[in-house]
Amino acid sequence: MRKKLKKQLNTRNIFLDLQADNKASLIEEMIDRLIQGGFVSDREGALNAILEREKKMSTGMNNGVAIPHGKTDSVDRLVVAVGVKRSGIDFDSTDKKPSRIFIMTISPASRSGPHIQFLAEVSKILRDEESRHRLLEARSAEDVIRVFG
Amino acid sequence: MKRPLFTLMAVVAAPGLLCASNPEQAQDMGHLMTLLVLQLAVIVVAVRLFGLIFSRYLKQSRVLGELVAGMVIGPFALGRIHLPFLGHSLFPKTEAVLPVSPELYGLAVIASIVLLFSAGLETDLPTFLRYSVMGTVVGIGGVVLSFCLGDLAAVAFLPGVDSFLSPTALFLGTLSTATSVGITARILSEKRKMSSPEGVTILAGAVLDDVLGIVLLAVVVGISKLGASGAAVDWGRIGIIALKAFGFWIVCTVLGIIFAKRISKGLKWFRSNDAIAGVSLGLALLLAGLAEMAGLAMIIGAYVMGLSLSQTDLAHELRERMHGLYQFLVPVFFCVMGMMVDFSALKGVLLFGLLFSAFAVVGKIVGCGAPALLMGFNLRGAFRIGAGMLPRGEVTLIVAGVGLSAGAIGKDVFGVAILTLLIASVIAPPILIKSFEGGSGLRSQLSVKSEEKGCQISLTFPSVHITTFIASRIRLAFRNEEFYVHEMNIEDRIYQIRKEDISITLRQKDKTIELNTTQDNSHLVSLIVMEEILELKDLLQGIEKLESPEGLCTELAACLFCELDESTKPGGSEDA
Repeated sequence: MRKKLKKQLNTRNIFLDLQADNKASLIEEMIDRLIQGGFVSDREGALNAILEREKKMSTGMNNGVAIPHGKTDSVDRLVVAVGVKRSGIDFDSTDKKPSRIFIMTISPASRSGPHIQFLAEVSKILRDEESRHRLLEARSAEDVIRVFG
Repeated sequence: MKRPLFTLMAVVAAPGLLCASNPEQAQDMGHLMTLLVLQLAVIVVAVRLFGLIFSRYLKQSRVLGELVAGMVIGPFALGRIHLPFLGHSLFPKTEAVLPVSPELYGLAVIASIVLLFSAGLETDLPTFLRYSVMGTVVGIGGVVLSFCLGDLAAVAFLPGVDSFLSPTALFLGTLSTATSVGITARILSEKRKMSSPEGVTILAGAVLDDVLGIVLLAVVVGISKLGASGAAVDWGRIGIIALKAFGFWIVCTVLGIIFAKRISKGLKWFRSNDAIAGVSLGLALLLAGLAEMAGLAMIIGAYVMGLSLSQTDLAHELRERMHGLYQFLVPVFFCVMGMMVDFSALKGVLLFGLLFSAFAVVGKIVGCGAPALLMGFNLRGAFRIGAGMLPRGEVTLIVAGVGLSAGAIGKDVFGVAILTLLIASVIAPPILIKSFEGGSGLRSQLSVKSEEKGCQISLTFPSVHITTFIASRIRLAFRNEEFYVHEMNIEDRIYQIRKEDISITLRQKDKTIELNTTQDNSHLVSLIVMEEILELKDLLQGIEKLESPEGLCTELAACLFCELDESTKPGGSEDA
C-alpha cells in the first residue's frame, strides 16, 4: 500500500502553498488545483462529493490533520492530493485545533477499490508526530513524497 | 400465479402420465416418490431438531447434530421399524452397497455438489497462497503426516489390508487430511484470538487442507477405479492419475481466474440474479459430471467451478443466492451420511476406530505443529495450531461417502470414519480452549510486535434487525475495499475479513457487532465502519425527506380493513 501511496503523489498534486483561509475555500482551492493538474475534469461533481461528505461529519481530525474525501462517478480512478497550510485554518476538527495538513481523496462511487484503505494508510503515517513535523517543514514535493515513502 | 401452478402440477403428474401405458410401473413410481417425500419430510424435521439440540444445549456443532439425526432415524436404528401404512419401514435397507435408496443418495450427491460449489465460492485461493506462507506450510505438513499415519494405521491394524496402495488404506489416509474450521473459528472468536498469529495460521492452513484433501480424493478415487477394473496399480499409473487430478484442478482454476471477467460478463447477459445463480449451479453440475467422466470425483468439478467464480464480481451475489439452497440441502447430506452408519458392522472395528482416531489426532497435532515450530512458534504456539486443526467435518464425510459408494471401503470402515469425525470434533474444543491459556505462542516474546496486540471495536444498536442490517453493510463495505470476506461459522455469524497481511474478525452477537483486529489496523477498521454509519445516516435522512411518510402510512393502513372491490377480490380479473 505504501508503494501505491508513493506512486500516487507527484508535483501536480502536492500543494505546499495553500492560500485559502476557510474550510470551503480551501476545499475549492485544492479541487481547482487538481483540475489544473489534469486529475479532475468535473469541478461541480468533485466539489459536491467532498462537501456532501463534510455535511455528514467534518473530516477535521486530531493533531492538525484533515482528510476531506468524497465519492463521485465524475472520476474514474482514485484522485489524491496533499495540501499544507502552515498557519492552519478552522476545519471543525475533533480537537477544535486548527488543521494544517490536508489529505484529499476523490474516488469513483460505483467502482470498488482500496479507497478508504488508502486514507487509513495515510492517517497511520500521520499518527507519528515526526512525520507531521516533516510534512509541515517540507519545502518541495520530493520532501513530501519522502515522508510517505 | 395460475400458470406456474399448472406447470408444477403437470411436472408432478408427469411420471404417472408417462407410465400410463404400464400401470404397474406407474404405481411403482408413485410409491417410490411417496416414500422419498415422506423420508425427506422426516429428515428435514429431524436435522433441524437435532441441530438445535446440539448447538443450543450440548454446545456442539450443528453438523454433529445432523449426523447423529441420520444415525437415529436411519435404517440401522428407528428407520427400520415396520410401518403398517407403508407396508415396510420408512428407510428400508437395500441390498446394494449403500443402505439408503438410490433416490435419497442421489439427493445427497447433489447436496455435496452444492456444498463444494459454495465452499469454492468462499475460497479466495490466490490471496491465501500469496499471503499465507505459514498457513500453507502448516496445512501441507498436516495433510502429509495425517495421510501417512492414516494409511499406516490401516496397513498395521486392519485385517485384509496389506499394502499402502490398497484403496481402503488410501481412503483412510485421505479421511485423515481434511479440517473443519467452523468449530475452531467459533472458539478463536470467543477467545478473541482470531487475529492472533496462531489464529491466522490455522484459518489459512485449514483452507489449504480442504483443497489438498479434495485433490487427494480425486487421486484416490482414480486409483480405486483402476484397482476395481483389475489393472495393476503401480507408481507409474498412480503418477498419471495424480497428474490428471492436479492437472484438471490447476488447468480449470487457472482458466477460471484468467477468464473470470468473461465468465462474469457472459453470466450477466441473463440479467436476472436468479437466472445467473441457476446457470452458475448448472455449470457446477456440468463440471462435476465432466470430472467424474475424467475419472475424478464429482465434487472436484463443483469445487473448481466455485473457485473460478469466486474470482468474479458475481461471487457475493452467488453466495447469497446459494445460501437458501445450501441451508436446505446440506443438512440432508449430513443426515444421509449418518444413516449409513451400520452399528453392527462397527462392533468388529471399534478398537481400530479408536486407534485410527488417535492416529488422526497425532497426525494433525504433530503434522501442523512441527512446521509451526520451525517457523517462529514455540511449543505452546505449535500445539495451539495443531489443536486448531483437529475438528473434522464436511470433507471427511464426502470422502467417506465417495469411498463407500465406490466400494473402496466397507460399512465397517465407513463407521470408523464417522467415529473419528465425532471424536475429533468433540475433543477439539476443550483442548483448544485449554491450549490458549498462558503466554505468547511465538518463540521470542520480543517478536510480538505492536501490530500483534489485539484491539476490539464494539458497537451496540437498538435492535437485532438493525444490527444484522448494519453488519451486512459493513461486510459489503469491506468487499468494496477489495477485502476478502469469509464466513467462518454460519451459526455464530463469525466472519473473517482479510487482505494481504490484514486480518479482521467480525462477529454479531444479538444487538452488538464486534470487530477484532490488531492495533495497527484499528485505524482502517474505524474509518470503514465510520464511513458506513455515515452512509446509513444519509439513508435515514432520505427516508425522513419523504414528502409525507405519515400520509403514505395512513393510505396503507386505510386499505387494511376495507371491503375489497370486485377487481381485487380473490378470483377477480388479474388485469384489473
